[in-house]
Amino acid sequence: MKQLALAAIFVLILITSLVKNSTKEIEDQILAINESIRPLKSELEDVLLEFNYLSSPEKLVQYQTQYFEKDLIKIEIMKIKEIIENDENLEINNFIIKNDNK
Amino acid sequence: MTINNKKNIILEEYENEFSYKKSKTNLDIQFNRIAFIFFIFLMISIIYSIQLLHLGSLKSDGEVKSIPSIKDYRADIVDRNGNYLVKTVSSIDIGISPLEAIDKEKLLINLKWIFPKKNYVEVEKKLNKNNFFKFEKTISLINYQKIMSLGDKSIRPEEKLTRIYPQKNLFSHIIGQIDNENNGISGLEKSFDEELKQRNKPLQLTVDTDIQFLIREELVRFQSIFRSKGSAAILMNVNNGEIISMVSYPDFDLNKREKVVDLNFINRATKGVYELGSVFKTFTVAAGLEEGLIDTDTEFLNLEKRLQCGKNSINEYDNKIPSNLTVEQILIRSGNVGSVRIGQRLKTIKLKTFLEKIGVLKKIKFDIEEVGEPILFKWGKCKLATVSYGHGITTTPLQLAKAYAIISNGGFDVEPSLIKKDLENYQQKKRIIKAGISEKINPILRKIVATKEGTAGLANIEGYEVGGKTGTANKTSIGGYSNAKVNTFAGVFPISNPKYVLIVLLDEPKTSSDYVYEYKNKKGSYTGTPFNTAGWTSVEVAGKIIEKIGPILATKHMEN
Repeated sequence: MKQLALAAIFVLILITSLVKNSTKEIEDQILAINESIRPLKSELEDVLLEFNYLSSPEKLVQYQTQYFEKDLIKIEIMKIKEIIENDENLEINNFIIKNDNK
Repeated sequence: MTINNKKNIILEEYENEFSYKKSKTNLDIQFNRIAFIFFIFLMISIIYSIQLLHLGSLKSDGEVKSIPSIKDYRADIVDRNGNYLVKTVSSIDIGISPLEAIDKEKLLINLKWIFPKKNYVEVEKKLNKNNFFKFEKTISLINYQKIMSLGDKSIRPEEKLTRIYPQKNLFSHIIGQIDNENNGISGLEKSFDEELKQRNKPLQLTVDTDIQFLIREELVRFQSIFRSKGSAAILMNVNNGEIISMVSYPDFDLNKREKVVDLNFINRATKGVYELGSVFKTFTVAAGLEEGLIDTDTEFLNLEKRLQCGKNSINEYDNKIPSNLTVEQILIRSGNVGSVRIGQRLKTIKLKTFLEKIGVLKKIKFDIEEVGEPILFKWGKCKLATVSYGHGITTTPLQLAKAYAIISNGGFDVEPSLIKKDLENYQQKKRIIKAGISEKINPILRKIVATKEGTAGLANIEGYEVGGKTGTANKTSIGGYSNAKVNTFAGVFPISNPKYVLIVLLDEPKTSSDYVYEYKNKKGSYTGTPFNTAGWTSVEVAGKIIEKIGPILATKHMEN
């Protein structure tokens, strides 16, 4: 009986050590991946900052006057239509429904 | 003795009596004991091996870096769409220690090659003084590589964190400034100082950069047209208090890190405490409806054109205003005397309680510390009369936005906020005004904009169902009122299902003789500002703002 208990403890310790070992391996892999993501994240942040600056409203207005002075026109909201798919039929409605609430 | 005898025998016979015999011992070690010892050793070795594996595990540098304990670290701030409003970036400054220079002349030539635009007469003087000096701040990576490739010991690079503001002036009052010790001194930088130093993730705000830009652009444009001292605008979601835009003009470029001492640069939207005039009439009517003392069609007959209260007289702005008016007409035509009559029917306690409930009387809690405190006053008969039409009572544009949000959203309390919360963090709506009041007030606000009797026709932008109320007030001066005005428009749209409240305030605007107004409720245009009132100034600005931001608000999906 004692031998059986000792053997069981031994087996459990062995299994624990094996599991822990494999966990550590996975942890190391995760860490390696995280470490490789970290510089990418930082690079992404820098690129995003650059993008935010270059696509900021102030810059867009500047580009508009510089390159598309007459090409970009303002569309009246009442002229915007909405396409609704309705049982294989397409329904075109006004995007803003005019309310006669005066 | 026996042993001695035996030895003697060996010596005499030269006999080697050595022979291997199994030694006999009294110790009786059983096999299971040995096995147990081996087992213990095995266990120790396993534990050791586990420990060894543990000790041998890799440690992440990132984990250390993710704890923001680095000097000068502050978390980034982004808008509701994730665009950077503030970013902490690392930069390199270059210092020079002249005593360690190998060849000063050669160093100077190399520096001229890398940084050709610098003033080298000054640099040469500093080099000859032999004291350490900062040569260039925040250099590019290319220039850093170039300067370090010189291999001169006198060049001392110093890495530091810098806070940059890609939107420059756009959010100056919201974000605020930091001092040289990395402590926030105004705006969110101050109120979230500790959190920004501890946070790993960026702080997300409710503001929208595109809308903020468009609103600011209009304020800047009309600043030159109406030559006002300053202006402010707030766009807020009426249902959850999220501030989509908050502009106070004039503003300042946060990247310049200038000390702002001029009082004209205060945050007018939150810190400015103003007498806002007729925009308060909506509250008087709402309080009357709440108390059940009036209805929208309740008639007030034989209204005087002039009332006397103590030394002061209360006049109608428009002398053509009829003497018999319903509550709705009083609000549409912005009748002063009619509003006084409603106030008198309410009496002081009821009006005061209502104003307290919608949050215009006391200082409001907000995400930034620059919040103005409405001026306290003693209530009395005359005070009740003047407060009823919005005079002798002060508040901030932020509180005005909150009050209009409550009045128009069905009577639910809202807390104006600049910080984006998760959906689950939004508190359950708490009703503070009876159901049905908004349904009565909102159509009147719409008529103020949509009918020719109303005072805000210039904000009637097709497609957006704008409603709102104007307020023109003279500024107080020592011993009375000056000619300088504060013109305000409090707009709500779309009025059939209110989503946004827009406040536009112009501080001391003047009339413009050459500005061309395009009529909205009839055909044609009008050149020049006929009257220095909100209807001809702040309403026009609000109309232009809604025209510009409306398509974004309508087409771009905005949650909540």
